[in-house]
Amino acid sequence: MTFKDIIKITLNLVILYTAAGLLMAAVYSKTSPIIYKKNIEEKKKALQEMMPEADDIVKLGDWYPHEKHAEYFEARKCGELKVKTVKDEVTGTTKEVRECVNPEVIGYIVQTFGKGYSSYINILFSVDTDFVIQKMNVLHHAETPGLGDEIELDWFKNQFKGKDLEHLKVDKTGTKKEYIQAITGATISSRAVAEDGIANGLRFLMKALKGEVEHGASTARGEG
Amino acid sequence: MEHQLPEEKVSYLKILKTAIFKENVIFRLVISLCPSIAVTNSVRNGFLLGIAVVFVQVMVNVTVAALRRFIHPRIRIPIFMLIISGWVTIVDMIMAAYARAAYKEIGLYIQIIVAFASILARAEMFASKNKVLPSFFDGLGSSLGFLGALVTISFFRELLGKGTLLGHTIVNAKPLLIMVMPTGGFLVVGLLMGFFNWIDMRFYGGKGAGGAGGH
Repeated sequence: MTFKDIIKITLNLVILYTAAGLLMAAVYSKTSPIIYKKNIEEKKKALQEMMPEADDIVKLGDWYPHEKHAEYFEARKCGELKVKTVKDEVTGTTKEVRECVNPEVIGYIVQTFGKGYSSYINILFSVDTDFVIQKMNVLHHAETPGLGDEIELDWFKNQFKGKDLEHLKVDKTGTKKEYIQAITGATISSRAVAEDGIANGLRFLMKALKGEVEHGASTARGEG
Repeated sequence: MEHQLPEEKVSYLKILKTAIFKENVIFRLVISLCPSIAVTNSVRNGFLLGIAVVFVQVMVNVTVAALRRFIHPRIRIPIFMLIISGWVTIVDMIMAAYARAAYKEIGLYIQIIVAFASILARAEMFASKNKVLPSFFDGLGSSLGFLGALVTISFFRELLGKGTLLGHTIVNAKPLLIMVMPTGGFLVVGLLMGFFNWIDMRFYGGKGAGGAGGH
């Protein structure tokens, strides 16, 4: 390879990579604010689905099941919901501000992780003020297709409604209907959702509301 | 692998057919076997990955063909990789911003395409030596062949492993659960490859495919 070749190749690489870099930077600067906005909107929607009757969902804090970042929220119903239009004196723009008068807490929403067979299962669940499960949803998982991935099915998810901490246990025999029925061939995934995920999340929530954990730096560990 | 195309008359249909059948990425060239096992546990997954590959493969082939005079032969592989990862990144960002519903379905697959041997292979084998239009048809054919192979493999795996097709229950049982496991993937790919080789030998005298694994 001659010196001329080296120069040629270097220039070739530099020019093409710079061009591609600029192109990608342009696309990124255009799309990233939209992606950010849509992510927030979707998160809000997912929370609202957990508790459709809530007027206002407020974040209480963060927690770290399995060293992963998760959040928990308080769902409120407003005695009266005032929507005011506030004018910004500096910029001159108007925006709507929702004001919740006499809010009443109607439940809590907790994000949690359960250690499954081949992944950490990201779960969102809601409880009422008596800590009885209202709804749950599996946000993300990578369990075995055909076996563990049945945690996504409605028959499995729906059986959580009305369960309290005592009954968030997995039954393999199929006889104790008051407990969570395991998916055939996927006991580990079923346990990960019910016991490691939701039951631990609920235990954490109870502790957090009593003020037994520090906000923002809490790590909940499994007890069983 | 040399493509000798007559200067005056190029049959796009022939390029398309060659890329789909004679040079089928999975069953004939035996490359990109990793996704053919990893994502074919349901027809839906196989199909969605196939669609994502069709788009990226066509764009990469066209870009490589258009830029082929500006790419020094000694550094063609890093440049091809740049083009592939560039397209994947751009498609990923644009879909995440503007096609949210579709992104939720195939976003995961778009990102793993960067590492597919089949895309690099077509850029190297065909697009770097041909004009834009033939490269477009080669990319289309090759990725459609890939899509077809994925759907065929996942058809057997989902039906035998879960007793469903596209999520609809066909048999109310799981006849061969092993089929949805990676093991089943190897079995199905191997058996189908053998079947296509048999067709090739029986009906085309072994010439239709340029010999099994002859690349």
